[in-house]
Parts: sequence; structure tokens; C-alpha cells
Amino acid sequence: MTTIQLPSPGAISDTIEARPESDNYLTHTRGILSWIFTLDHKRIGVMYMWSVLGAFLLGGTFALLLRTELLTPGPTITDSADTYNQWFTLHGAIMVFLVIIPSIPAALGNIIMPIMLGAKDVAFPRLNLFSYYLWVTGAILCIVSLSMGGFDTGWTFYTPYSTTTTAGGVIPVLTAAFVLGFSSIFTGLNFIVTVHKLRPPGMTWFRMPLFLWSIYATAIIQVLATPVLGITLLLLIVERTVNIGIFNPSMGGDPVLYQHFFWFYSHPAVYIMILPAMGIISDIIAINSHRAIFGYRFIAFSSIAIAMFSFIVWGHHMFTSGQSALMNTLFSAISFSVAIPSAVKVFNWIATLYKGSVSLTTPMWYALAFLFLFTIGGLTGLHLATLSTDVHLHDTYFVVAHFHYVMMGSALIGMIGGLHHWWPKIFGRMYDQRLGTIACWIIFIGFNVTFFTQFILGSQGMPRRYYDYQPEFQIYHVISTIGSYIMAVGFTLTAITLFGSLVNGKKAPANPWGGRSLEWQCASPPPFDNFAKAPRVGDCYDFTVVHWDPKIGGYRVDESNDPEVNPAAQGTKAAH
Amino acid sequence: MAIKTANFIDPFDNAQERGVAGVFGMWVFIAVVAMIFLACILGYLVVRFDQPPGREWMPEGTPGLPPALLLSTVVLLISSYTVQMAVRAARFNRQTQLRYAMGATLGLALLFLAVQALAWKELWTRHVTIESGLYAWTFYVLTGVHALHVIGGIPPMVQVFRRSMEGRYTPTNFTGVVLCAMYWHALDVIWIVLYATLWICTALAVLAV
Ligand code: HEM
Ligand SMILES: [Cu+2]
Repeated sequence: MTTIQLPSPGAISDTIEARPESDNYLTHTRGILSWIFTLDHKRIGVMYMWSVLGAFLLGGTFALLLRTELLTPGPTITDSADTYNQWFTLHGAIMVFLVIIPSIPAALGNIIMPIMLGAKDVAFPRLNLFSYYLWVTGAILCIVSLSMGGFDTGWTFYTPYSTTTTAGGVIPVLTAAFVLGFSSIFTGLNFIVTVHKLRPPGMTWFRMPLFLWSIYATAIIQVLATPVLGITLLLLIVERTVNIGIFNPSMGGDPVLYQHFFWFYSHPAVYIMILPAMGIISDIIAINSHRAIFGYRFIAFSSIAIAMFSFIVWGHHMFTSGQSALMNTLFSAISFSVAIPSAVKVFNWIATLYKGSVSLTTPMWYALAFLFLFTIGGLTGLHLATLSTDVHLHDTYFVVAHFHYVMMGSALIGMIGGLHHWWPKIFGRMYDQRLGTIACWIIFIGFNVTFFTQFILGSQGMPRRYYDYQPEFQIYHVISTIGSYIMAVGFTLTAITLFGSLVNGKKAPANPWGGRSLEWQCASPPPFDNFAKAPRVGDCYDFTVVHWDPKIGGYRVDESNDPEVNPAAQGTKAAH
Repeated sequence: MAIKTANFIDPFDNAQERGVAGVFGMWVFIAVVAMIFLACILGYLVVRFDQPPGREWMPEGTPGLPPALLLSTVVLLISSYTVQMAVRAARFNRQTQLRYAMGATLGLALLFLAVQALAWKELWTRHVTIESGLYAWTFYVLTGVHALHVIGGIPPMVQVFRRSMEGRYTPTNFTGVVLCAMYWHALDVIWIVLYATLWICTALAVLAV
């Protein structure tokens, strides 16, 4: 047979072999300025990642202070309830606005998303850098606010307390949340345009890895919900400054209106946190099961459905604030329906695992932890969405436990899982998987000890945000605090594992887990411009062409049997 | 043509694609701005029509909306026209007209802000300050938020004006002008909705008295 001119046989040979290995995005240019002014999405993502992890350390420190204070009723390490109020406010505000919201989209999304998509960068690299510096400004404003007397409003800034409290740092922290909101909006805008306009030929909507679908759905929420938070905070700042405003009842305003505005943003915001984690979990599960994800389109559409539904359930946070019975009933019913697309995802993940041959890598352990914790978190959401139970559970530790299961147990665990999944790609080093898995288990156990206890506390009537409590609750508080120390150990071990790999980790292969999406087809770490040539896009969940190659200690995608690449091989593609 | 330096990798293959993405991005940004004003207007309507019994929205003797707003509305409408003229001029490569049209738009934008300031001053001198009550508060805050968006649009507009003076826009590449015009039309439409809302609600209050 005459030689056939093959179309480019996949991205590997183009990108990996065409360049010296030492020239990657980390080494391409040098010096601190090349980072500060970088427009490279990977570097911006890495800066986000370190910043977010730094904020996580700070927020975590406050969490440990809170839990330690609650070891005994009455004063334990501080004798001022005001100080306690400031701690939990700071903890919540830092974790929500500085950590979880930017963690997956802005940090991991920035690093991975364009490569996964097959693009050279996001659509607007300068805007991307600007978003990062808005984040930095927000973080600085938080610190400024601390030096001006702190704030004790809770992360929700409810009026009229937030307009009347004497804590001096309220306006700076409102400004911080405002600025961080715009950072999030611009990231979302950038990602929407990137997904629409920078898909290379062959990357159709339904060839996008599920992580991209989830990031895309998240971006829609970021863009449509966050402006409402922005304007609400602005109105609040004006109101606090001139002592009059539409949330002030003594002047004919309505403080409950504030709650409507706030939750119109903040309920969708919980999906800004969870959707990207769901995307990561979809991909980790598919790759480590070495099997096509079950129900791809269902998962993709459920992301969009969740994004849409999330805009019409905010009233479930306000069942006890004087909403009419009709509204309460409607919001309750709609909240139940949000559980459907979430459950669709869980069933699809389990079906994928069931038929797959599972590799229990560290990221996979995180994915399994996520499955377990998200199921508990989501189902307890239904208790809270039920009117008759929520009247009792509202503002108790039951709510605290619920949202920690979904925000920490799911969103944050998803983020840490994603970090382990892409760490070899980002830094080109393998970490010690045994250590990583042990850390995952310690976190998982510590997490359940801490927060499952709080379900019990809450159902027995322990209110949230209290500095003092009845002695009969003490045993649960002690258990919960011990759990938080266990988690601290787990996170320390995780940090040791990951940082250790930078010092003495094995060099990572391009494709350590057997992925098929594009980021696994460029070198680890990726070259500064991602792809020398536009890569060929295959079916990213067809793992029949991914084979372990002992020579490189990683997987290799061999598409020579794929009729799309090699017409001569028509029909020989392995059935699966 | 892709710009490729050590620091910057142009994600687009050519200026055409970059322009299309820019326009799409501007639509998304307009959605962001629209959500801001949607929230403003809904909030306004809620407090306006949900006043506690016995509390008047506009106590006796409160002056209505300053007539200067009518003038500023006209100014903004004309500026929408001139900016559209700039887009057409760029498309047909009429460089002089482009310069004049951009310059006029810029001037009208500043004039709009000046007239808004006059309107504020007019109310303020009649002792309707931001602290007098929600009628005044909502007036100052809503028009203020809109004015902030106009102010925010001015630096990019200056930039486009400068570039048009340098003759940088060609019939195949004038995305900057288009983006400017899109944002300006959006602010125009938003202003009209906002003004109509304020006007109708104030008129209802005056009629009720
Ligand atoms: C299955 C879907 C879910 C349902 C039906 C649900 C339902 C609820 C309800 C009714 C409340 C209000 C409880 C109260 O204050 O009395 C609540 C609180 C909360 N939920 Fe969920 N939830 C769901 C999923 C999530 C997810 C995925 C997240 C975050 C990633 C989340 C984060 C929160 C937070 C942060 C709060 C408390 C906010 C506060 O008052 O400080 N929820 N949830
Ligand atoms: Cu909610």
C-alpha cells in the first residue's frame, strides 16, 4: 500500500518532542517581574493558587481558634464574646469570599481550562491578570478592616445589625467583598467568552470534558448573580455612611429586602462553589475508572440545570423571616427540585465506578470522599428545605453541619482532589501517593468527627454563632473540636506531601493517571504556549486508546486505530 | 496576525476573531450591568410601594424630579446617535467624520454628567438632601449609580478618541469603536428605563397627594 499522509497523529509528538524539556511555562521567563506582570493563564492560576491556599491557612487558623474556644462553656481562650463574634465572621468571610469561590475556577480553572479546551490562553489575558489583582486588593482590604476594629456581622452582613454595629471595620470589609465580587465577575466573563470563542476545530460542545461544562455553568452564575451582590453591598455602604437607606425600617425601608438581595446572590454562589468541584469529580472518577463516564450528556445538562434552578430558590434561607406562607411553600418545593440534577450526577458517578476498573490513586480517594460527603450534605439540605423541620433547625448547628458538608466536605475536598489530580501536570513532579492517601483519610475522618457531631448538636437545639452554651452540649463540642484538630493534622500532612514532591518528587510523566483530555497530551509542566499546533481533539472519555507505557512510567494515547485519525484502520477500533 | 512575545501569547489567530470575541464579551458585560440596574429598580419598587401605613413617600412640599433630567436625557440620546455615527464612519473609512463623532460623543458624555450635577444641586438647594428620606435617597443613589457607570465609560472613550485621532481604526479593524458604542447604547437604554421608573413612581405620589 502506498504511504498515506496521516493527519497530525495527536498532540503528543508535536508538543512534547518539539521542544527542549526544560523550557516550560515555569522556566520560560525568569525573575519576579515576569510573574507579577505575567499574562500567561497558567502563571496567573498558580499565583491564585498560592494566594488562595494562604487565605485558607488564615481562615483555618480562625476555625481552630473558634473550636478551641468552644471546648468549654463560658470563656475558654478569650473572655470576650465580641472577640468570638469577630473570629467567626472573619472565618466565614475569608473562607467564602477569599477561598472557596475563587479556589476552583480562578486557581485550577485558570491553569487547566484553556489547555483542556485546546486554546493558547483565555480570551482576555489582561482582564485575567486584573481579576487577580482585584482579589489581592480584596484581601488587603480585609486586613485593613481588621486594623480598623474588625467586623462582627457574620459573613451574611444582615441589616440592621451591619448598619448599626460599632465595629470599625465594616465598611472596608464590605468594600473588600464588593471588589472580590468583581474579581469573580471578570473571571466568569473571561471563561464564558473563552469557551464560546476559543474552542479549536473538533472541540464541539459535546466533546468538552465535564470539568469545562461545570466551569462554564459556574461562569454563568458568576456573571448574572454577583452583580446583585455588588450593588447590594454598595447600597449597604451608603446606608451605613449616611444612616439612612432602603434597608432601614425607621425610615420606611425594609431590612428583609436586604436578605432577599443577599440570598439572590448567595444561594447561586453556593453553586459557584460546588459546580466546579462536581466537574473535577466527574473527570477524576472517569479517568481513574478507565471507563467512559456514564451519562455524559445528563451530567453536562444537569450542570446547566443546576445553574438555572439556583436562581429561584433563595427564599429557602428566609423561611423564618416573615415571608408569606405561599412564598415559603413555593421556595420549599423548588428547592426540592434542585436535588434532582444533583442526584442525577451522583447516580452517574456511581454507575461509572460500578462498571469501571478502578485505580485507587490519591485523587480517586478524594473523589470517593466527595461522593460520601456530598450525599450527606445534599440530603440534609432537604431537611432544611422542608418547612416544618426548618422552623426548628434554622440558625442551629444543623445548618452549620449542612453547609460544611457541602462547602468543605464537597467543594473544598473537590478542590484538594483536583490539586492532587493536576499537581503532576502543574509542577511536573509526582508526590508520594501513600502519604497523600493517608492524609486524605485523616481529613475524611476528622471531618466527620467534627461535623457529624454538629448535626446532633443542632437537632438538639444548640444555636449557631453562640459563644456560650448549656453544659449538656459540652460533650459534643469537645468531640467536634477534637475532630478539627485531626483535620489540622491531615491538612499539614497534605502540605508536607505536596511541598515535599517539589523538593524530591519523581519527574512526572505527561499522563500519569491515564487521562484522555488535552491537558494530558501536553508535557508536564506544559510549555509556555500550551500547543505548538492546534491539537487534534478526540473523544476525551474514550479510554480504549489509552495504554500504560512502562518505558515512560505513564500512559500514552495511541490513536492509530482510530478511524478519524487513520482512515486505513476503519472498523478495527476496539469495541467497548 | 498573532502577536507573540515572551510574555504575551495571543490566543486568537487574527484580529477578526479577536474582535468577534470582544463584541461577545461586551454583551456579557452588558448583562452584568443590566443585572446591577435590575436589582436597583426592583429594590426601588419594593420600598416605594411597600411603605408602612401612615408614612408618605413624598411629604407635603417635597419638590418633584428636577426638570434638568429631561435635558440630560436628550443629551444622552444625542450622544447615542453620535457614537453610532462614529461606528458607521469607521466602517466606511471616513476618518475625519470618525474623529468628530467620537469627539462629540465624549463632549456630550461630559455634558450629561454636568447636567446631572445640576439636577442634584437643584434638589439639594431646596433642602432635599440624601438624608431627608427615602424619596431623596433613592433619587440620589439611583442616578448616582448610573452616573458612576458613565464616568467609568469615559477613560475607554478617551482612549478610543485618541486612537481615532491617530487614525488607527480601519474598516476591517474598528472593534474599539464598536465596543464603545455598545456600552454607550446600553447606558442610554438603562437611563431611559430608570428615568421612566422614577418619573412614573414620583408622578403617582404627586397625584396621590
Ligand atoms: C441539595 C441541595 C441543597 C438544598 C436543598 C439546600 C438547602 C438549604 C437550606 C434550606 C438552607 C437554609 C437553612 C436555614 O438557614 O435554616 C441551607 C443553608 C445553607 N446551604 Fe444549602 N442546600 C443545598 C445544597 C447546598 C450546597 C451545594 C451548598 C454549598 C456548596 C450549600 C450551602 C449552604 C450554606 C452556606 C447555607 C447557610 C448559609 C448561612 O445561613 O450562613 N447548600 N441550605
Ligand atoms: Cu440556599
